[in-house]
Amino acid sequence: MILPPFAYARPKTVKKAIALYQGAKGQAVYLAGGTDLVPRIKQRLMCPALSIDLKGIQALKRVTLTRDWLKIGANVTLYDLKNHPVVAKYYPALYESLNTTSCETLQMRGTLGGNVLQDARCLFFNKSDTWRKARGFCLKMGGESCNAVKGARVCFANYASDNAPVLLTLGAEVLLSGIAGDRQIPLLEIFTGKSDSPFTLHNGEILTQILIPAQITKGGYLKLRVRDSIDYPLVGVALSTADGRGRLAVGGIGGKPLLFEFRGDDRGWVERIADEALNQSKPVRNTVLSAAYRKRMVKTLTKRIIKLVMGEDRR
Amino acid sequence: MKSIQIKVTVNGEPMSLDVRPYETLLETLRERLHLTGAKEACSLGACGSCTVILDKIPVRACLVLTAEIDGMTVTTIEGLAANGRLHPLQEAFMEKGAVQCGFCTSGMILTAKSLLDREKKPSKDQIVRTISSNVCRCTGYKKIIEAVMTAAERMERT
Ligand SMILES: Cc1cc2nc3c(=O)[nH]c(=O)nc-3n(C[C@H](O)[C@H](O)[C@H](O)COP(=O)(O)OP(=O)(O)OC[C@H]3O[C@@H](n4cnc5c(N)ncnc54)[C@H](O)[C@@H]3O)c2cc1C
Repeated sequence: MILPPFAYARPKTVKKAIALYQGAKGQAVYLAGGTDLVPRIKQRLMCPALSIDLKGIQALKRVTLTRDWLKIGANVTLYDLKNHPVVAKYYPALYESLNTTSCETLQMRGTLGGNVLQDARCLFFNKSDTWRKARGFCLKMGGESCNAVKGARVCFANYASDNAPVLLTLGAEVLLSGIAGDRQIPLLEIFTGKSDSPFTLHNGEILTQILIPAQITKGGYLKLRVRDSIDYPLVGVALSTADGRGRLAVGGIGGKPLLFEFRGDDRGWVERIADEALNQSKPVRNTVLSAAYRKRMVKTLTKRIIKLVMGEDRR
Repeated sequence: MKSIQIKVTVNGEPMSLDVRPYETLLETLRERLHLTGAKEACSLGACGSCTVILDKIPVRACLVLTAEIDGMTVTTIEGLAANGRLHPLQEAFMEKGAVQCGFCTSGMILTAKSLLDREKKPSKDQIVRTISSNVCRCTGYKKIIEAVMTAAERMERT
């Protein structure tokens, strides 16, 4: 499959990258590992005039542990992060989600920033141009209605990052850089909840760091997929806890992950959170597995991860 | 569109290339350099048949822009044989019958090579994990795993 023509630039600083973006009048795109972006351009899901490669920016490649945060540069690869000693020691859930993301080769190229900012996916959207033209463009392509749910006027594409749900359970924040300056916000605030444009980032804003509170947690991640390698999550359930309190997140369904908080001391909380997760998850028929099955697996995986992580601590 | 000039080393040979900014490494290898060992199958990064080694790391050449790799080193299947002798992985793949249609083989071998280059004595689990980045539709993987284990043992001895 051949890429459509676009120019290429490799700035050395975040500032220069933002300036290049502004100069391209909304026709530019940032490129990290390209493992989400390049397939989308090949399929003509977007046709940028300029790709701005962020890999030349050294500042985005660092991992630093301070007293309060583990600060992860957006361009750190999933593989390098997975093998960072602090991750295995502090954040077992993150280790597991990184380890089950796509496959080892793609983990070596894909970055954490790109992983968090990957576009939402749908069986009827991530297709060739010819396929989509024959079918008629869906909402996410500026068409009139959804191709997955007949007649629907909202988009149901699934945000399929394995690592964002885990980062949410860890209370992660993100550092963004744009023409108006820098801002640090909770990760949850980058999501619009809308599958056809999932992120609240301003045009040309660069994600520079992902920050995780520096504390030792217990946790885990379970992922439903057809093959144990390469596949995206069809449901992903993440759990992190410290001192009996914790968060659970459900990914792979809809435009953003669902997040639940719990204190492990109220009676029946396991059943309650499993039911909440089940009721709030609204999968539709837009993946290779049926919506009904994915919905049921939300509850199954939720109970399973709680049992795996909390063992006898749970009531 | 203005072309981009880069310097790369491909299979030990330094070269300057003038490439289109939107040209993939796979296109450069196959169409400019006539190194057709890397295969194009899915073209979307899923299958691994276009895997080559870029500065020690296996990559899907179909997802890498050639413009991105200025100053880097590429190893393709054509660069593995040395002094007229095949690489131990290539020999083991033939011996163990790890090749059927052969379309995935170059990617499979390069993925395995990157593992053996960083891990002298990989466990069977590690081998399985690493090569599960690549899809083979014929062999069922058993013979491929055996071949990688055999090559690892031989390379350790020498
Ligand atoms: C076959 C296959 C299987 C996959 N399986 C999985 C899976 O199981 N789980 C999963 O989570 N992902 C999966 N992926 C998606 C992808 O490989 C990963 O999400 C990867 O981490 C993306 O990172 P990247 O650096 O390649 O992103 P890119 O493709 O470079 O970028 C992704 C998006 O983020 C934007 N972007 C990147 N960095 C920044 C930044 N710093 N600031 C602003 N914008 C930025 C880009 O403009 C682009 O829109 C898969 C991909 C393939 C091809």
